[in-house]
Amino acid sequence: MITNSNSKSFFRTLAHVFLLFVPLILASPAKGYGYADPGTGAFLYQAAYAAFLGATFYLRKVLNRFWGKRK
Amino acid sequence: MIAQDIPAPVFRSFRDPSGSVIRLSGRILRAVRSEAVADLEAFLATHTARTAMDCGKMVASVRVPAPALAGADYVLEHEPIPFPSYPFEWSAEMLFAAGALTIELAHGALEEGFGLKDATPYNVLFRGGQPVFVDVLSFEQRHPLDRNWMAYAQFIQTFVLPLIANRAFGLPLGSVFSGSREGIDPEAMYRLAGPLRRLTPSFLSLVSLPKWMAGKADDAALYKPTPAMSAEQAHFIVKGLLTSCGNRLAAVKPGETGGDSSWSGYLAHKSLYTPGQLARKEAFVSEAMELCRPKKLLDVGANEGYFSRLAAMQGASVVAIDSDPVVAGAIWRMASKEQLDILPLVVDLTRPTPAIGWRNQECLGFLDRATTHFDMVLMLAVLHHMMVTERIPMEDLLALTAELTRNYALIEFVAPEDPMFQRIVRGRQKLYSHLTQQRFEAAAAPHFELVRSVRIDGLHRWLYLFRRRHAAN
Repeated sequence: MITNSNSKSFFRTLAHVFLLFVPLILASPAKGYGYADPGTGAFLYQAAYAAFLGATFYLRKVLNRFWGKRK
Repeated sequence: MIAQDIPAPVFRSFRDPSGSVIRLSGRILRAVRSEAVADLEAFLATHTARTAMDCGKMVASVRVPAPALAGADYVLEHEPIPFPSYPFEWSAEMLFAAGALTIELAHGALEEGFGLKDATPYNVLFRGGQPVFVDVLSFEQRHPLDRNWMAYAQFIQTFVLPLIANRAFGLPLGSVFSGSREGIDPEAMYRLAGPLRRLTPSFLSLVSLPKWMAGKADDAALYKPTPAMSAEQAHFIVKGLLTSCGNRLAAVKPGETGGDSSWSGYLAHKSLYTPGQLARKEAFVSEAMELCRPKKLLDVGANEGYFSRLAAMQGASVVAIDSDPVVAGAIWRMASKEQLDILPLVVDLTRPTPAIGWRNQECLGFLDRATTHFDMVLMLAVLHHMMVTERIPMEDLLALTAELTRNYALIEFVAPEDPMFQRIVRGRQKLYSHLTQQRFEAAAAPHFELVRSVRIDGLHRWLYLFRRRHAAN
């Protein structure tokens, strides 16, 4: 059962998380003068590899937390 | 001030929208657009940039006042690199070294919030054997959530795939880069590889998968940046991409001993010289160095750099050219190991590198860079190869030698009676019967005055030290 105080705490946490990301999201992403051709197939390969690395990042965090708790 | 007292720029680069390099009367200037100044100044203040400049890995750069230069408010002056060279003149060892430096700097910059926006060998020149990153505008501040490295494909195509093609198919780097500025794309490599090779791990990830995926990449929306979930994740991903590129490069590192060619180990195992004759030749060259004290020396047909090394050890800054990439690679390894000022280039003087690129001005031809650059030219046991193999007249070769040197030339004349001459003539002796020592001296006389000469005992070979005649004389 979600109490009123629990609910407030949940939304406060959510707001904190949102506020944490806002500056990153709004930080001028268009700035930059990169002009190298990103390629076609190589770009897709890079994107797939980047996605894999991104998943690894979170997996590593989970594992670190798990092993950290064991310690 | 610069703009007011110097004539119009010789050439300005144009690819990077952040600014352009201008060659002006021997000075190298970089005009920077106002939008890029903040990033540039911030990058130059990083630990990565300052350390790299201090140890010579990045070109030294200072801001100079030049308010009217190329419409830019901000101008950097770079330390000139003594002899610019291009990837199509490099051995595999040099391309590898340039790639390793690129990744090293990209890693350092990433830790300080900067990204490398292009990753091409044209960002690197060589000072002697040391690679120097010269395009300081290639670094820009990264968006914290940017998880792409847009120069990934360029790095693979201009560093890794050419080295793989060189190793797997014997494709010379000269062919790769003189035909295309952007190296080799996965599609071209795919065509070169057989069905089984396409499935090997390195080809699968660098060649086959990108080739198969290429057809799916026509949608422009694919290139829309997709931010990472956090700055920490973006950093982790880009670092992983850079590490992957570094590992790909390391996997194709040229061997410590280099390859084998008809010219490798020539002086040690294949030449005519007895130890005594070689010592006599070495003594003549060494004495000539003492007498002439050249600051900039061109060694033509340098082979594995025996005499380039001798000249460098006596204080000369040496450009050593040979048409064989294997021996050029051997010189680079020797020069790097012994930290000698020798720049080895894969250049055939009978077919010198042409000027290429936009309006034939982006990359200067070898002769454009070399003419009167040197105060001494060494041509040891190479003249007869150019006369016989390429059928260049002796008079023309001596005229070109006189154009390349400002002061001295040390030339070994090999007569047609010499066994090595006989070997390359292959039955066409009649064509060369007129090439006597007297004829050689007469051909040299309009361009040079003789300083000293010696015959190598027991051989049909003479060493000549000439001083160039100047028009004013």
